[in-house]
Amino acid sequence: RYVRQLQRLQLLFSPTAADARGARQFVEEAAQDFARQHPDVVLYVSPHSGPGPAPVLRAEYLNGTVRDELIASKTSEEIVQLATKLANQSGLDIIRIRKPFHTDNPSVQGQWHPLTNKPSILTVQGPRLQPQ
Amino acid sequence: MVVLSAARWVRSRLSDRFWRVQEVLKYARHFRGRKNRCYKLAVRSVRRAFVKSTKARREKKRFLRALWITRIEAASLEHGLKYPAFISNLAKSQVELNRKVLADLAIYEPKTFKSLAALAQRRRQEGFLAALGDGKEPEGIFSRIVHQHY
Repeated sequence: RYVRQLQRLQLLFSPTAADARGARQFVEEAAQDFARQHPDVVLYVSPHSGPGPAPVLRAEYLNGTVRDELIASKTSEEIVQLATKLANQSGLDIIRIRKPFHTDNPSVQGQWHPLTNKPSILTVQGPRLQPQ
Repeated sequence: MVVLSAARWVRSRLSDRFWRVQEVLKYARHFRGRKNRCYKLAVRSVRRAFVKSTKARREKKRFLRALWITRIEAASLEHGLKYPAFISNLAKSQVELNRKVLADLAIYEPKTFKSLAALAQRRRQEGFLAALGDGKEPEGIFSRIVHQHY
């Protein structure tokens, strides 16, 4: 069953700043629809009064990563697209993955070591067999 | 540009020069010497680094193939076969394993690789018999070709 990796979305903006216009429109129009479409994501709207930092959309994931996206001077539709993109991501860091595969048990028959293909007379020590 | 009056023309100055410089320097942080700190030197080094990394993607394929071949050669010599004999006889026995997989088998599955080497050796002997001892002997078992009809 699919478990959405996005825990919560925090919309931090100021109700009077000019570049937060798109954020305010998003809150008025599209935030409820977004919250209904994504029932397992919690949406927090926290306006801070007065001049403050730039409006930001903070996404927190189940593995603890916090991702901030600037929404200054963005339209409501762009913020909706951004929010859906964050909701479909997982919290893994966005770096180059070195290998597209990974195994915890790479070797079934035992990994090669310099004594695998040598006659066992070399290593076995017993009452009758002496190492050469 | 027509300047109607000099007082009206306000010169605009850069305010985010710091971040523009950091965008370049962040790719130069692990370099050696002054080119990890000084922008003028870092710009040239970062551009050369990117160009080299783009071109090296074609070389990487050649390099990895050579590495696999070295490993397969070492593993097959442990079983008494040389690399050309091993690869050609495997191909004649219709075992379509590429060098990457063969190298991984040689490292992580030594018994499987031993059996592959034995298969190649047997096919080699059958090839010699077919070429030298022409006549009434039956064809080798491992020399039979399976025809796939797609």
